[in-house]
Amino acid sequence: MALTGRLGLLALVAAFVPLLVPSGAVLLGLWGLLLLGVVIDLCLAGNVRALRFHREGDTRVRLGEKANAGLIVENTGKRRVKAVLRDVWPPSAGVSPRTAKINVPAGERRRIDQTFTPTRRGDREAVTVVVRSVGPLGLAARQLSRSAPRTLRVLPAFPSRRHLPSRLARLRELTGLHSTMIRGQGTEFDSLREYVVGDDVRSIDWRATARRNDVVVRTWRPERDRRLYLVLDTGRTSAGRVGDIPRLDCSMDAALLLAALASRAGDRVDLLAYDRTVRARCENASRTGLLSEMVEAMAPLEPALIESDAAGMVSAIMSRVRRRSLVVLLTELNPAAFEEGLLPLLPGLTARHLVMIAAVSDPMVDEMAVARGDLAAVYDASAAERARADRRRLTAELRSYGVEVVDAPPDRIAPALADAYLALKAAGRL
Amino acid sequence: MVTAVEPTAGQVVGRRWRSARGIVLVLLCLVVIGVVVAALKPSRKPDDLDPGSPKPGGTRALAEILKSRGVGFDVARNASDATSRAGAGTITVVARPERLTRSDLDRLRGTAGDLLLVEPGREVLSSLAPGVEQDGPTFVLQAHPQCGLQGATLAGTVAFGESETYVAPSGATACYPESGKPRLVQYQVSGRAVTVLGAARPLTNGHLTDEGNAALAMNLVGARPQVIWLIPDVRHASSGERAGDRTLTDLLPPGVKLFFLGLVVAVIPIALWRGRRLGPVVAEVLPVVVRSSETVTGRSRLYRAHRARGRAAEALRAGARDRIVPLLGLPRTVAQILPTQDPGAAREVVMAVAARTDHDERTVATALYGLDLGQVTQSWPTGQSDPGGAEPVDDAGLLALADLLDDLERQVRQS
Repeated sequence: MALTGRLGLLALVAAFVPLLVPSGAVLLGLWGLLLLGVVIDLCLAGNVRALRFHREGDTRVRLGEKANAGLIVENTGKRRVKAVLRDVWPPSAGVSPRTAKINVPAGERRRIDQTFTPTRRGDREAVTVVVRSVGPLGLAARQLSRSAPRTLRVLPAFPSRRHLPSRLARLRELTGLHSTMIRGQGTEFDSLREYVVGDDVRSIDWRATARRNDVVVRTWRPERDRRLYLVLDTGRTSAGRVGDIPRLDCSMDAALLLAALASRAGDRVDLLAYDRTVRARCENASRTGLLSEMVEAMAPLEPALIESDAAGMVSAIMSRVRRRSLVVLLTELNPAAFEEGLLPLLPGLTARHLVMIAAVSDPMVDEMAVARGDLAAVYDASAAERARADRRRLTAELRSYGVEVVDAPPDRIAPALADAYLALKAAGRL
Repeated sequence: MVTAVEPTAGQVVGRRWRSARGIVLVLLCLVVIGVVVAALKPSRKPDDLDPGSPKPGGTRALAEILKSRGVGFDVARNASDATSRAGAGTITVVARPERLTRSDLDRLRGTAGDLLLVEPGREVLSSLAPGVEQDGPTFVLQAHPQCGLQGATLAGTVAFGESETYVAPSGATACYPESGKPRLVQYQVSGRAVTVLGAARPLTNGHLTDEGNAALAMNLVGARPQVIWLIPDVRHASSGERAGDRTLTDLLPPGVKLFFLGLVVAVIPIALWRGRRLGPVVAEVLPVVVRSSETVTGRSRLYRAHRARGRAAEALRAGARDRIVPLLGLPRTVAQILPTQDPGAAREVVMAVAARTDHDERTVATALYGLDLGQVTQSWPTGQSDPGGAEPVDDAGLLALADLLDDLERQVRQS
């Protein structure tokens, strides 16, 4: 039950009546009339229980874009329902309009157009639909919550998409689609062909030349059908805010760019999100559906405030990946966490796979390191220097294990990771 | 990071006005209310002219002086009390005559004995001093008697201040005139002397000593051996009269109470209307918003709280070495070598930096390694416990070290 502003206004007007007719009985009579109106309204208001809700429209939206959806209200009751309706969503779903007026005659249905402009990545669940059905006199209303479940999945924004064309151009140079094939640009034997002037004499295949009358050269191309295994660390270190977004979101962005690039380069990409258990997985995806499947897998991920289980992560990787792969670990270079967790397990991992660690550094620390002026700033600078020294030491130690380390601030991590991958590919180390 | 666009002066003024206008409005309202209250406040306090009051507006001083001079001094708090005591040889001083009711005035008119009316109004004058008429308010600091009344001529100049002037009937003694209208009138009405005094100020404690005030007051009040000071009490004056014992609610029109009741009842549906929410409040499950640099900031505060200048200096030195050494063309690993591990490498760094900057080796060695020149050039101390070297002695030293390291780095970079 809910009362309306009209009832309050009428009660206020009734209060002025005794100034003209100073009689308690008249006032009581007016109140009685209002009460009667309320009872009539409550009895004659449209039946909210008879409403059926259906939803249609987008269920997926990329962060930063708009989703259009509709809420269809079907009246199965015998009376017209005149009501105010609120579709209740979490604030970050950005649903608009917040409330809508509906007027549904018996047996008919009406559609409410909605737009969603979500402000955060992840799954957003519709909480409930609240309907306030106003009676014919407009004095009182029946109010009820009805469930109309729906999930809106907000996908990562993938802002580093803009780096993809330039990296693809680099990749095409490697595969020889743009420039001539010359030795050193690839490492995998492709085919034999006749020597033409300008070819590197070092690539002449003497054995084949001996069998034929012509001079024959070997051609090379970059390796294809290699495997990439991306591992997202969703533990506590991924929760820290770098700039304005959590570190995990930066890592996702970098992973998406790398996956897009690698799939174009003909490599297979799998994804695993892990802290103490497997949070998300995207394996054996087809080349064309890879990105959408990865985005889908990443969308509901949230940083967990627990210490990542490095041993579990390594054993999960080992059990899943039999062939030699490039294992890209997107995590944070936290000396304490590394020394206790991953570092002792690295030799086992590097023996089987090529390991690359990508970490998002905090530009705030670099800002603090150059801060001068007062004592607090200098202490800040020394603490930042200390943090950077620790990071450098850890990086050097990781490199001594043969691990590739990519450490870059959030705006450069995705292209830096892509470049590191291209460098590995060019060097034929995959 | 979002850089804020500098607002124009107009925008700033507009924003300040919008944020401050509520406060300004409230202040204005307060000022207006204050002015109204001050204007409505009665200029007379309840205990003015009360012979028991020692305040500036009271008349205790005059009463005490008269008593000490042997004049009988009675205080009457209502008119019937005063009339019962009045008789020949008495003078009834009517202070605050505005408090007298019509019946009080009738009663007073019938008594014997002289009357002194202090600032009487029109109604009092017509009843007790027929023929005298109110003229208007004036203000004067010094007024001269200009009449034959002995009490006035003896007193001489009197400070009246704010005072009423009157039109005196023919045959009356009119003193202290202002353009022909006297402030003091004395004449005989049905065999008794009635004095009309246009100002209360000459009688009060606060102004008794001004000019000839005291003399005039004593001459007027102490003119008879028995003084009856009538200062009517508001309560007593009105008791039993037409105002009655009725309270405020009795005086309100009958519908008003019902109106207020109606208002109170109307609040209930309005409160229920506004109070009912359309659906639940939904809490957003927020991700963690801790800054990633929080640990670094925490370490900085710890350093500062414990004045760990040595550690802070060593961190700054290590960072500077790490950036400077590659610029010198030396392997990066040299940067991490401490003098205790390999004095030769450290000396090489110091020499190279000193050669490229305008600082001498001693300064460079102190800045980069925290060691003295002697230790650099001759022999490095071995087995030194503190690898960080010398600790800045105070905070200024640490600041100077940071600046020196910046300077070294800049010069090496530019060389």
